[in-house]
Amino acid sequence: MGRLRQKGNAGAAKAYVTRSIAIKKLQCSLADFRRLCIFPREPKSRKRANKGSSAPTSFYYAKDIAYLAHEPVLKKLREHKAFAKKLSRALGRGEWSSAKSLEENKPVYKLDHIIKERYPTFIDALRDIDDALCMIFLFASLPSNPRIPPSLVENCSRLAAEWQLYIMRSHSLRKAFLSIKGVYYQAEVMDQTITWLVPYQFTQNIPVDVDVRVMLTFLELYQTLLGFVFFKLYTDVGLVYPPPLDAKRDESAAGVGAYLLQEASQKSDKPAVTKVKVVEVEGRQVSGRDVYKTIKNIASSSSNADDMDVDAPTVENNFGETEEEFIVQPSKSDAEMASSLPTLQSLKALPQSINTSLFAPYTFWLSRETSRPIFEFLVRSFGGKIGWPASSGGGSPFDESDDSITHVIIDRPVIEQPSETDEQRERRLKRRYVQPQWVVDSINAGKILLEAPYAQGQTLPPHLSPFGEYEGAYDPAALANEEAAADEDESEIEGEDVEIEDADLENEVLQAVATAATEDSATLRAAELAAEAAGIDPSTFEKEVAKSRRKSKKSSSNGVDEAETDMNKMMMSNKQKKLYEKVKHSQDKRNLERSKLEEKKKNLHKQKRKLGQTS
Amino acid sequence: MTIQARSSKKRKQHGQDESADTFNEAVNLEMLSDEEDREDVESDNGEVDEFPEIDAGSDESGEEDETYESEEDTGASEEGSSSSSHEQLHIFPEAKTIVSDITGQEKRVYPEIEPDYDSDSSTEDTPNRVGDIPMHWYDDLPHVGYDMDGKRVLKPARGDELDRFLKTVEDPNSWTSAFDKKAQADKPLTAEELDIIRRLYANENPDANYDPYEPLTEWFTGPGKEEIMPLTAAPEPKRRWIPSKWEHKKVMKIVRAIRQGRILPNRTKNTSQPLFYSIWGDSSSSNAPPLPAPKPSLPTNSESYNPPEEYLPTEEDKRQWEETDPEDREHDYLPQKYSALRLVPGYERFIKDRFNRQLDLYMAPRVQRVKLNIDPNSLIPKLPSPSSLKPFPTYKSLQVVHTHIARCISVSPDGAWVVSGDEGGVVRLWEVNVGREVRKWKFDGKIGSIEWCPRTDVSYFVVGTDDMLHFLIPPNLPASILQLTQSTLAPSTLPPPPETPSPVKWSTPSSNTWTDETAVLTIHLPPSSGLPTQITWHRRGDYLASVSIGGSQGAVWIHQVSRRHSQAPFKKVRGKVQLVLFHPMKPCFFVATQQYVRMYNLSEQKLLKTLQPGIKWISSMDVHPSGDHLIVGGYDRKLCWFDLELSDKPYKVLRYHTRAIRSLHFHPTYPLFASSSDDGAIQIFHSRVYNDLMTDPLIVPLKILRGHEITKGLGVLQVKWCSRHPWLVSGGADGAVNVWCS
Repeated sequence: MGRLRQKGNAGAAKAYVTRSIAIKKLQCSLADFRRLCIFPREPKSRKRANKGSSAPTSFYYAKDIAYLAHEPVLKKLREHKAFAKKLSRALGRGEWSSAKSLEENKPVYKLDHIIKERYPTFIDALRDIDDALCMIFLFASLPSNPRIPPSLVENCSRLAAEWQLYIMRSHSLRKAFLSIKGVYYQAEVMDQTITWLVPYQFTQNIPVDVDVRVMLTFLELYQTLLGFVFFKLYTDVGLVYPPPLDAKRDESAAGVGAYLLQEASQKSDKPAVTKVKVVEVEGRQVSGRDVYKTIKNIASSSSNADDMDVDAPTVENNFGETEEEFIVQPSKSDAEMASSLPTLQSLKALPQSINTSLFAPYTFWLSRETSRPIFEFLVRSFGGKIGWPASSGGGSPFDESDDSITHVIIDRPVIEQPSETDEQRERRLKRRYVQPQWVVDSINAGKILLEAPYAQGQTLPPHLSPFGEYEGAYDPAALANEEAAADEDESEIEGEDVEIEDADLENEVLQAVATAATEDSATLRAAELAAEAAGIDPSTFEKEVAKSRRKSKKSSSNGVDEAETDMNKMMMSNKQKKLYEKVKHSQDKRNLERSKLEEKKKNLHKQKRKLGQTS
Repeated sequence: MTIQARSSKKRKQHGQDESADTFNEAVNLEMLSDEEDREDVESDNGEVDEFPEIDAGSDESGEEDETYESEEDTGASEEGSSSSSHEQLHIFPEAKTIVSDITGQEKRVYPEIEPDYDSDSSTEDTPNRVGDIPMHWYDDLPHVGYDMDGKRVLKPARGDELDRFLKTVEDPNSWTSAFDKKAQADKPLTAEELDIIRRLYANENPDANYDPYEPLTEWFTGPGKEEIMPLTAAPEPKRRWIPSKWEHKKVMKIVRAIRQGRILPNRTKNTSQPLFYSIWGDSSSSNAPPLPAPKPSLPTNSESYNPPEEYLPTEEDKRQWEETDPEDREHDYLPQKYSALRLVPGYERFIKDRFNRQLDLYMAPRVQRVKLNIDPNSLIPKLPSPSSLKPFPTYKSLQVVHTHIARCISVSPDGAWVVSGDEGGVVRLWEVNVGREVRKWKFDGKIGSIEWCPRTDVSYFVVGTDDMLHFLIPPNLPASILQLTQSTLAPSTLPPPPETPSPVKWSTPSSNTWTDETAVLTIHLPPSSGLPTQITWHRRGDYLASVSIGGSQGAVWIHQVSRRHSQAPFKKVRGKVQLVLFHPMKPCFFVATQQYVRMYNLSEQKLLKTLQPGIKWISSMDVHPSGDHLIVGGYDRKLCWFDLELSDKPYKVLRYHTRAIRSLHFHPTYPLFASSSDDGAIQIFHSRVYNDLMTDPLIVPLKILRGHEITKGLGVLQVKWCSRHPWLVSGGADGAVNVWCS
């Protein structure tokens, strides 16, 4: 007989600790523990980890806690606690000089090592910046208050601008979506899909049930994380990080335009290193893209060929132009780079699956009521030029009277302007006035859509999510295509209805005959004769027969199959049965949702048609 | 003073003399005589005015008078300041104006103050001399202490509560009086006491003379009072006036450090290190990173600011959304449509959403879960199609209707005839093919069970009613069979009766009274054994077993027809026997109690196996014709298939009926079995059993037959197969007996 084992001395009971024990072990307060942002773990058996109790608790891995005990941040937090005590004592005693020197030597912690621990590779970090971006953009738009110092808001808005600048420069924006919550953007950076949400420009109030401390802790980590990620991204494309801020422009509310993108080679103390890095990274990126493109090319049929041909020259023509758009100080290294990397240039010139210079041939003017940050970002990300009135902030590259303007993004109803000079009218006729949704829909469609449905004052077509839904979900666009066919069908049926109302008796005979006729050829023949005798048009008869045949076939085959499968379900084990029920339930739920939407659509359509008929 | 202390009247001390000691010593003797005089004065207090001459004659003279006067002054000033009520009360003796003998002028003379303990009016002569002791010691005694002469001071009559109350009402001074424990009576408070009480109430100092704002008298400080002389003559130490060497060393250390640049005074924050650097440049850490958080789900069409109209919620949807708990909502927003982007308002739950996401990020454990993405239809086992397993009964061909619940049916061994019995006591014999009724018997009480003898050379069946088994011969038999049957059931020479008398009686009416209506042979089971719920035959047709519901151990009987002998196989059975069965091949016997099925070897009288179906209450059981498989059905809807060669646990458990299983039957020749249930349905299964031990039996559900109605919660009570055809006979609680044909 082996040694008796005591309960709770080994296994899950030892490997997992509860939160209160962890706090006791680390000798810190709960608030400090929360700031350490350690994740709870899910033990395989909660009961075993909790020493037999099934009370709801959060568990931490004992080794994680042991590791945390040596965390420098924890040490700094303890030091800070001591510092706070000393400072308050000094202030209470009125020892101003010692308080000042204490304040000067305030313990400050750094989160660098945490970033390195959490994200061992750059790709890991890049994959995880979605939430960080959302938070940065949110805090960039928050009003400062005692909890949120202005410096924090400023730093957040700087980080947000840096990100936008990078996306605009690298043309990596892919999709955008105007939702009721805000604007969703999706970019593809180093093959990682990054989605972030930016609220509309309204003052947000922090609700009372939100713990700002938690948000600020996260924000601290996110600021550091984004700083390192941006540093890497900027240096990889040969830019200086952080980009210097032009104070004058910033004062005129130029937003993103207040930051100057500087080529690293200008300043370059270490040109060789960065250049090598750039080449490497770019090369890898390109190779990945190359493969993707080849696959795409193979996959795409010849029908697309002419389409691509059209696209290609426009891109090539405008490439240089767009590059210049973003480089404030024209670079001399560009030519060098081009010569050293001929393949890169040629590859870039090739048509891409997503046209990143969609708006390159166009120049936009933003109307006063549209949001400048959103549309400046969108248009410039896709290679367009954009200007705005001074009321939307400074830094506009041109003014409204510029002749190169092709589109005006306007979001107000049409108003007759009686006192219009000839010049103004001419200008108005030359330009296209579109609603903001046109920009976003064009980006999502990957091509310039027709302006007519989006013209000023028009009722807009619905704005659909570019991100798609689960497989088999209701697709409003697909249904719209089917609708035409359905319409015809319906009208036919209705027409028939009218006829049938006239000849009730005839119809009855017909149906009876038709249903009888589905059985076999002999009866069909007999039925045909009967129908002729009743004086029914042979074509109608055939149609009816076909219809009833289809119906009967469907019902009979379905019925038999269903009965069989129902019976076969008896032979399932209990476990399988439960799993089946679960899967079936979720399927049914989806189907119900879909059918509900379809039903609604049909009803709406009918109503619309009825309105159309009456009017 | 020592003399005075020894004197008998030591208590009477001259209060004023204490202040002037010298004088007191000088007039000590005289004072004694004075005091003797004053004894008289004390005895009659009222005649104060007769004695001033003696006072005046005393040597205490003007000094005393002056003090009196000064006292009077203070008293007068006090009176003026405090209140006039003092005057009315006359607490101070009144002054008299007389003409002085010496000067011949008028002077005010006050009555002499007796300088004894009781000179104060507040401490008037108390008769009780017990001193300062707890007065409750006298609670049980009639007296309250002793007076000066050692005599008891009796408690004054106090009266009851009412008296005291009335006294308080009548006496205007009662509110200024307090209970005196020593005297055991209410004593009025003096004006001073009242004044002290008033002062205490007013939070003032109880001493009226106390002046809290007295001017400070400086005794030791201030100009002119400085101490000039040193306290000690020790010389001043060196350390007071030579700078410290060690301090100098310490300072020089710092100075040197500053000079060498080791300490930077007023150092600014080190900004030499850049805030951000290439953190991923060097080798990555060895630790595995935590699982990345799942990305939030991407927005769908319904979240658009301008969604297609069908996404907009109806009024009902909105109401439902608002009523549900925020945690239970499928979406955290209601779809809305705006005609232009400029009309879209700010999203008020934005911060809350982000906060919730962060709570998820740091409070939720991160676990990698495999998401099952399977077609649910792939879970359904692939079985051969029923159409390929024909024949099996598919439709109802005919129906025979009883007036009561048709509880039991039996099909003849040749499969041409059916007998069915109902709870009204009617037994019908009819043909399977056309349903024509040939004969009807009527018994008293319910019919519990019917079973046809499996022998083909004879033809009879057994009907179980209360405490009895009746052996009936169907009509229209061929003569040879009829004769053999009669001779089997009622042989001319009866076999010898058993040695030990059995409680079961076999009786045959005499051959001349035989009719078609009566039974040829009747077995009388022991009284109060109740209705035999089951009769089962051994395959040879000589033995039959019956199970009755009543009785204790005698519920199971095995009857041998040839010997006309019955025996109870079990002396003692654990649990209540539900069903019994003969094994079709071996001399084995199955006994089903409520939860277990036991398999006995009859020849060796031994328990072979105990099967555990895991059913709460077994309702039915049948054995496969091959004898290797057993099916057991229960009231808890379960059907268990046992492979007797293998385990005593079921090979397969099926649960498909919605109500209790009532009856099970294997087809004797076709690979079919049927189960009937209280849900009114009959389920037909294909059950192929293979001879090799490797292949599992194949069970395929074939058909659900519905046609019986549920009455009083009972559905189809018994199913039986026709031996030569794949036809099924079923008896239901609605009284119908149906024949199902292929």
